[in-house]
Amino acid sequence: MSNEPAVAVQASKTAAFRRGVLTFLALAVLTIVELAVGTATGGSFALLYVIGLIKAALIVQSFMHVSSLWRGGSHG
Amino acid sequence: MSAVATRPTTSHDRLRSNRLGLWLFFVTEVFMFGGLLVMRFRLWGNTRPDLDQTLGFIVTAILLASSFFMNRAEMAIAHDDRRNFIVSLTITGVLGVLFLVGVVGFEWRGHVRPGDGAYGAILYGMTGLHALHVLSGLVIIAMVGINGRQGRYSAHDHWPVEACALYWHLVDVVWVFLYPALYLVGVVVRH
Repeated sequence: MSNEPAVAVQASKTAAFRRGVLTFLALAVLTIVELAVGTATGGSFALLYVIGLIKAALIVQSFMHVSSLWRGGSHG
Repeated sequence: MSAVATRPTTSHDRLRSNRLGLWLFFVTEVFMFGGLLVMRFRLWGNTRPDLDQTLGFIVTAILLASSFFMNRAEMAIAHDDRRNFIVSLTITGVLGVLFLVGVVGFEWRGHVRPGDGAYGAILYGMTGLHALHVLSGLVIIAMVGINGRQGRYSAHDHWPVEACALYWHLVDVVWVFLYPALYLVGVVVRH
């Protein structure tokens, strides 16, 4: 019973870490796609900036926790 | 004398105000870098200088990895894990230094010089202003690291860590738009 809060903290920490890893992997894949698109299409502005916007949205939502601006609460 | 009804300011209110203030500052940064991007597309059009693609990709990967470790540092202190916080913050700082070395130490030694007309002006203007932000981020990381080692942050009181992380991620977001503009969009012009 007494270690329930510790277990909850550990679970929350693991979930936060997993979220960070998934976001990083998605950003890494998108950057590779970006490089491929840049070299294969002769630098298509539209395609490259669609990928850029997705990457920025991922960082702003997952790393910068923009929703905490109106929801409040901790970033953790 | 006017009677103004006030309620005590809670730490929760202060945190919300701090966050709002920082995000408003970020809006001004977006305008500044947005202006530079408009300048790039106006002056370079659908062309770009022949920059080192491998170097551009490596520094981009380094900055993305640094954002991951900064997020890890913030999550660690939010869970009172001081050891992981210090380790992750240190890795973030090292990656930030590597990014600076890549851009200033290698890209700036390439064949495009600051005096090479619009290409030189835009390249050095954009990378220079961004590098200045990375440098200031590194100073903030060092300050937060020193305070962190002294045990000044906890799970319930770590706004400086959160602010430092937000600033570092902003620097990353800016590079997300600068990287394609400098290295990928348009056809290569050799001069």
